[in-house]
Amino acid sequence: MSYLLTQLVNGVSLGLVLGLIAVGFVVVFKSTGVLNFAHGSVLLLGAYLVARLHPELGFWGALAAGVAGAALVAALINTLLVRRVAEHDPGVLAILTIGVDILLLTELTRQIGNDVLDIGAPWGASVVGAAGVSLPASRAIAAGTAVVLFAALGALAARTDWGLAMRAAAADPDTASLMGIRLSRTSAVGWGLAGALAAVAGVFLTSYPTPGVEPGVSVVAFAAIPAWVLGGFDSVPGAVAGGLVIGVAQALAIGYESELHFLGGGFGEVVPYAVMVLVLLLRPHGLFGQKEAIRV
Amino acid sequence: MSDRPAASLRLDSPLRLISSLRLDSPARAAGAVLLLAAVAGPLWLTDFWLQAGLFAMAAAVGAIGLTLLVGVAGQLSLGHAFFLGVGAYTYTLLAGEREDGMSGFGLPPVAALLAAAAVAGAAGAAFSPIAGRLRGIYLGLASLGLVFLGRHVWLNAEDVTGGYNGRTVEAFAVPGFSFSDEDPDYLAVLGTPFGELHRLWYLFLAVALLAAYCGRGIKAGRAGRAMAGVRDGETAAASVGIRVARVKATAFTVSSVYAGVAGALTALAFGRVAPDSFALTVSIDYLVMIVLGGAGSIAGASAGAVFVSVLPLMLVQYSAHLPFLSAPGSGGVDAATLSRFVYGVAIVAVLIFLRGGLAGALRHLGIRTARAGRPSRPARPAERSTPKESAP
Amino acid sequence: MTIRPLAAAALCLAALTACSTTDPDAGPGDGDGSGIRTGNGVTDSEIRIGVLTDLSGPFKAGAAVQVQEKKAYWAARSAQGGICDRKITMDVRDHGYNPQRAVSLYRSMAPDVVALQQVLGSPAVAAVLPLAEKDDLYVGGMGWASVALEYQVAQIPGTTYSIESANAVDYLVDTLKVPAGSTIGHVYFEGDFGGDSLAGAEHAAAARGLKIHPIKITPQDSDMSAQAAALERAGVKGVILGASPSQLSSLASVLASNGVDVPLIGNTPTFSPALLNTPAREGLLKNFYTVTSVAPYNGEGAAVKTAAEMFEKNAPDGTKGWEVPLAYGQSELLAEALEKACENGDLTPKGVVAAMHETSGLDTQGLFSGTLDYTKPGEPPTRKVFVSRADPEAPGGLKVLDTIEGPSALSYKFE
Repeated sequence: MSYLLTQLVNGVSLGLVLGLIAVGFVVVFKSTGVLNFAHGSVLLLGAYLVARLHPELGFWGALAAGVAGAALVAALINTLLVRRVAEHDPGVLAILTIGVDILLLTELTRQIGNDVLDIGAPWGASVVGAAGVSLPASRAIAAGTAVVLFAALGALAARTDWGLAMRAAAADPDTASLMGIRLSRTSAVGWGLAGALAAVAGVFLTSYPTPGVEPGVSVVAFAAIPAWVLGGFDSVPGAVAGGLVIGVAQALAIGYESELHFLGGGFGEVVPYAVMVLVLLLRPHGLFGQKEAIRV
Repeated sequence: MSDRPAASLRLDSPLRLISSLRLDSPARAAGAVLLLAAVAGPLWLTDFWLQAGLFAMAAAVGAIGLTLLVGVAGQLSLGHAFFLGVGAYTYTLLAGEREDGMSGFGLPPVAALLAAAAVAGAAGAAFSPIAGRLRGIYLGLASLGLVFLGRHVWLNAEDVTGGYNGRTVEAFAVPGFSFSDEDPDYLAVLGTPFGELHRLWYLFLAVALLAAYCGRGIKAGRAGRAMAGVRDGETAAASVGIRVARVKATAFTVSSVYAGVAGALTALAFGRVAPDSFALTVSIDYLVMIVLGGAGSIAGASAGAVFVSVLPLMLVQYSAHLPFLSAPGSGGVDAATLSRFVYGVAIVAVLIFLRGGLAGALRHLGIRTARAGRPSRPARPAERSTPKESAP
Repeated sequence: MTIRPLAAAALCLAALTACSTTDPDAGPGDGDGSGIRTGNGVTDSEIRIGVLTDLSGPFKAGAAVQVQEKKAYWAARSAQGGICDRKITMDVRDHGYNPQRAVSLYRSMAPDVVALQQVLGSPAVAAVLPLAEKDDLYVGGMGWASVALEYQVAQIPGTTYSIESANAVDYLVDTLKVPAGSTIGHVYFEGDFGGDSLAGAEHAAAARGLKIHPIKITPQDSDMSAQAAALERAGVKGVILGASPSQLSSLASVLASNGVDVPLIGNTPTFSPALLNTPAREGLLKNFYTVTSVAPYNGEGAAVKTAAEMFEKNAPDGTKGWEVPLAYGQSELLAEALEKACENGDLTPKGVVAAMHETSGLDTQGLFSGTLDYTKPGEPPTRKVFVSRADPEAPGGLKVLDTIEGPSALSYKFE
């Protein structure tokens, strides 16, 4: 029983971190309609900045710098590149972000070189435990932080002008623009927010029990894509729920691999995608998404 | 590759014959030179370039298929690598012998190649009900899932695929002639010994030309116009009587057939199939090819395929002669890093500055020179507008 | 369109008349004045060897160390008069862990080298070995997967992963006193490295009355907490790891902080001295062992010391790991084969492969465990391994405890 509980807790904490990344996809998609493939390298950038700067600035200073840096770069990607593309086709924009991802990732890989950089988090490798279940402190803190950030984001979306503007922009950009909403600012804030969340997720993904910052971390963002799809593309609570589903499913698939052997070895790796395809088959617009109405 | 059907030309006048070649157009002249160079390639290219050329031609076939789907029909697909893999494994399984605990059917390679196209096409058709329900990035994401699921199956179905390490691919052959170093064991043309690479070159060239020819036909034909209609607006297309779901299914099937052939060719060029050859990065590489070339353009897709396949090889091969490159592992910009940078910059620059990719840019150039030279000649329709059948 | 069939027909005709199916130079290769037959990659003054490695992909760190050491070795060797009165030059190419690129680069190197001293990265090896077999071109330094034994041209530098793991199980039973009937975990990469490691461990476990709890992972998995929990649940009394340093770091630290105090034995590629500066340090120092057929940096043999000195002179800031004695040892193996080929008067690629298979009873002065015998095709040259422990004092982070050749390592059969 405690084994199941351990895997569940592991899955929930991982799922909340995936949720942070997935929410970034949602915010970018809502504010600009872009599937952002550069999200993973922005995440890596945030973690890299923290790892490089913490010896000088201390962890909290470095964290602030990393979050700000990732947010700034994400906003710049939008302002300098995405908005310059004349053809506002989702496919073209997605491919543009692939190009940006290649550039950013190549440079970060070159900077990181052969090292695995220590993130320098104060919680280190300590473990918290209760009721026979132990969890790395980093994961417990990650879960708590994610919940706080989700709540703050909810408040931001519901109570501020930016939240209203973003919803208006998502519903109908042209009308929103006519009504005096400055789309450039709304979308820059959206991208920046996504970058900041990614940086926070990046810090947790490179803390114990993983070895540290290495280029492969950016791939984790891909695992958040199924979470985002599951949640229905444009729903923040949906993305969080999607993250939880994926995190728990993945942890259970790894934890019970010996029992799931008929599905093939290493099934944990593909669980997110299997769940995603299944959901898209049954509910093409995700669990929480709104169906677009098309009439002829 | 003339736009005109062959039947419309008669061999009655030498003058007409020469004018029918239309070498006056710079693009055509360049094409003719390229074709000649390609035909003569094995006589003067080293093994390295032959190998690179095989990969490039295989990629060109796949890229043409993808550009029909993404560029012409407007359906974003990140699943192209999956269909390439289906083709590659189908060929390997059907043509391979049963040995070392591996399954194999020992079919004639020609049949296996055709089956690779058919099975990949069937996989595309099977996916198209999903494709019919999804649009834009939704579709891209669903197809992303295919790549990961396919990889999982290939890694685990070890007696068919050889698992992670992959398995050896049976050489291509027609009765009496093998596209390998054997049967005939020694073959020389104009004093150049023709081994596996030289022989495969002509097979690949023929398939690539056929693929381009068919691709142009599809694009200019009814199916192509329907696809373009769906791309430009599903609702509008449906209102003029285009059956959107069916057109999407056709586009997926056609593109998968191309991918299946390209996958089998890649396997032949490589001599092996392994799941890593069909990873997500491969899907992305193919998207890059068609974007660089100009989405929807057959020639552009081929050029993009050559660029993407050959550039990294060239940089690595000649890195010692490029003074601005540093040694790999030294932390500076090495050849592999540079080729990634060139890639990324090319994608971003093409999308922002060069609408329509290389093909679009060349076309603009062509129009300008044509106008300067002979103002009477009409410019060809722009890529983004609905393609028209050229008048017979 | 119409002119094309004509042109094509003319071309075909021209081509046909120019065709020939008899090989004009099917005779023996060129000889020089000294009566030594030579072929690709050998001139009167130079022997050219190739290294096809990964300097920009996931293995760039270790690969760069090996290239540095090899360059130093061949420079020194050439300065001492070379081999067969020829100096040795190295052609290094970077495939970036991309097997298609590796194949293309192989095509460009093969006509100009007499041997490929190293092909690194298992997908690249799997793609290149069949081509090299066809070309009769020596391939060394391809890792330790058993699949290399199927190729005549391959010279495996030491024993296989399967023998390493079988020895690991023997060591667990005989020295670390894991009781019969226990379960041991085996965490491994999919592919020929991890799969081979698992095959050896399964054989040995069956022979020694143990059960194996296998967990397959991928190189991208760097968080081992779920795997650690699964191992804990299975009640493992030891863990064998066929993976890379990232996974070792995570697994060692999670097991340690969960209070799972069992020995953790890794195949050669799992350890990197940098791990002793991570949170995994305590867990590694307490429980980590590694089984290798190449000596660790701090090995005791005379040649290992020479290798280390050479490395420190050439790359004072380089990472001191098992790659250094490995690179030096591989160079010694190839040098041995080249010397013998020279003696035999056949310095062609084929002659080098033949000479390599004449090597037996080779004592590498501590670089490799045991004496090496390459005369039996399909068999590894040795079944002995070094067992080492993590040690923060030792340069390279490992200290040799013992050299073993366990009963299940001896009874393992290669198909």
